[in-house]
Amino acid sequence: MAADLDRGLVPLRVYNDPDVYRAEMTRIFGRTWVFVAHESELPTPGDYVARTIGEDPFIVARDEDGVIRVLFDSCRHRGTQICAADKGNTSHFRCPYHGWTYNNAGALVGIPNRKQAYPGLDPAEWGLLPAPQVECYRGLIFACLDPDTPPLLDHLGDYRWYLDIHLGLAPAGMEVIGDPHRWLIDADWKSGAENFAGDSYHTQSLHRSIPEIGLTSKAVAGSAGGSNDVHVTECSGHSTSIRRLDPDQSPFWAYPPEVQALFRDNGLTPEQLDLARRSVVHTGTVFPNLSLIHLGGTDDPAKPPAAYLSLRQWQPRGPGRMEAWSWVLVPKGSPEEYKRRALKVAVATFSPSGNFEQDDSVVWGRVTRPAGGVFAAKAGILLNYQMGLPDMSLTRELDGWPGPGVVYDSNLEEGVQRTFFRHWIRMMSRG
Amino acid sequence: MAERTVTDQDLRLVRRVEEFLFREAEVLDAARFGAWLDLLTDDIDYRIPTRVTRERTALDLRFSQASFHMVEDRGSLAARVDRFDTEYAWSENPPSRTRRFVSNVRLDSFEGPLEVRSNLLFFWAREERQVLLSAERHDLIRIEDDALRLARRVVFLDHTTLPIPNLAVFL
Repeated sequence: MAADLDRGLVPLRVYNDPDVYRAEMTRIFGRTWVFVAHESELPTPGDYVARTIGEDPFIVARDEDGVIRVLFDSCRHRGTQICAADKGNTSHFRCPYHGWTYNNAGALVGIPNRKQAYPGLDPAEWGLLPAPQVECYRGLIFACLDPDTPPLLDHLGDYRWYLDIHLGLAPAGMEVIGDPHRWLIDADWKSGAENFAGDSYHTQSLHRSIPEIGLTSKAVAGSAGGSNDVHVTECSGHSTSIRRLDPDQSPFWAYPPEVQALFRDNGLTPEQLDLARRSVVHTGTVFPNLSLIHLGGTDDPAKPPAAYLSLRQWQPRGPGRMEAWSWVLVPKGSPEEYKRRALKVAVATFSPSGNFEQDDSVVWGRVTRPAGGVFAAKAGILLNYQMGLPDMSLTRELDGWPGPGVVYDSNLEEGVQRTFFRHWIRMMSRG
Repeated sequence: MAERTVTDQDLRLVRRVEEFLFREAEVLDAARFGAWLDLLTDDIDYRIPTRVTRERTALDLRFSQASFHMVEDRGSLAARVDRFDTEYAWSENPPSRTRRFVSNVRLDSFEGPLEVRSNLLFFWAREERQVLLSAERHDLIRIEDDALRLARRVVFLDHTTLPIPNLAVFL
């Protein structure tokens, strides 16, 4: 498959195949770093949220000492999930089955009838199992099920240069507004991941209605191929698509002056700040299933655009089936009125009801049936990811780009998605 | 709950409100979105809060005060309707097939702006997919120029994760 990908070819059946899916769970979600929560979702000790790594249930909790814990949600006695709520605040988790009780650091602290029933049991050996590795980066909490996987900073690698722009504009970072959107799509998790890796080509067709009714400018969602558009590929296995305005314009996506006022003393380089200044939209995917969109748009053509960052996660829920999650973030310290405005614009653009996103789930869902049938496998159908290969577009590597990655001078190329699939093949090929 | 002595005038009002809600459902099921906008006041406040599963002791926190599946005013609703009228609103082209079952209509005020609660069972089908959404709606209905108009609606869904690939509909 690696040789096919070098020619820009990806098998259709990877989007709906039980064997591929099972291998993804163990070889990708069982091995790499997976996003589980944003720190602002857990502001105080005792706060917890129920999350999944692949399909495995975990509790992400801030313990009494303020330490973030990622605990396998399964009682050590009979395996029952002990966290029935999506979120809350508690010092202890008590399994309803037999009453084994754990504190929010995972320690087993209560065993009914312990003196008679378990005189020889050492509670220290029977705490909730933590994810083998947990690390945070600028508010993003990641966990990894494999103790031998290199650290998170290695996984994010050079891509931090771009993440820092999204997460570090305000010195206090970003904060999540409310709870994430969650909805079921009959499409494979990779459809979301590879699209947000930088599918700049689809906007002019799939999202043509958006600029047509004035919810974004053509610079945001018009035809690909503008002179200010770039694609960042092979950036430590991650990628991003960036649309900017001319150098003399400073949209900062569409953050208003009172929010831009927060963007100081943030430690970003002049080059990072200059990129942020000119930007109107970035999309990107952190392998495997965390994507971002940083966008300026509006809910009503009569109202000026507003900017927000959406983190989105394509949760695998079976071959050809995912649960999409989306968090809306704004720079921490934004006025309450702006937070409400940003949330409203996010809902109107990227959410289950979003005027953009409504249409994405339709076309991704329509990959599932052809991918899962007989003919996709029998005929060995290969999909075309060739744009940007030599002699397949006029796109060229960009000289003088200040950031990392292999960067192209146009978004009419699909190296961003080939980056995703190269990473995917690397992990799937390791036995 | 204390039962109010119901007058004939009250009953006529309940019936009138029911008729309004049933007609509204008919208009939406027929995808006559322009006609639907005409049933809303200019200051319509329409929202669908996100919902999470909470412990029994924290049930009052189950609906978010901050995040919504839809949070709309007249301008944003009109933009959604305008989009459906383009050739490129793929989520509704071809259109979904919907049927709204409105029941358990309760008036909580009989004078001034009418506070109305109703249950909604919403059937949605598109291609081979079929979904039911269930919700309670809290409406504020005003009488303008002798006609009922929807001024506020909060849709309290019975779902946390939405079992539908998109929400390209009005509930």
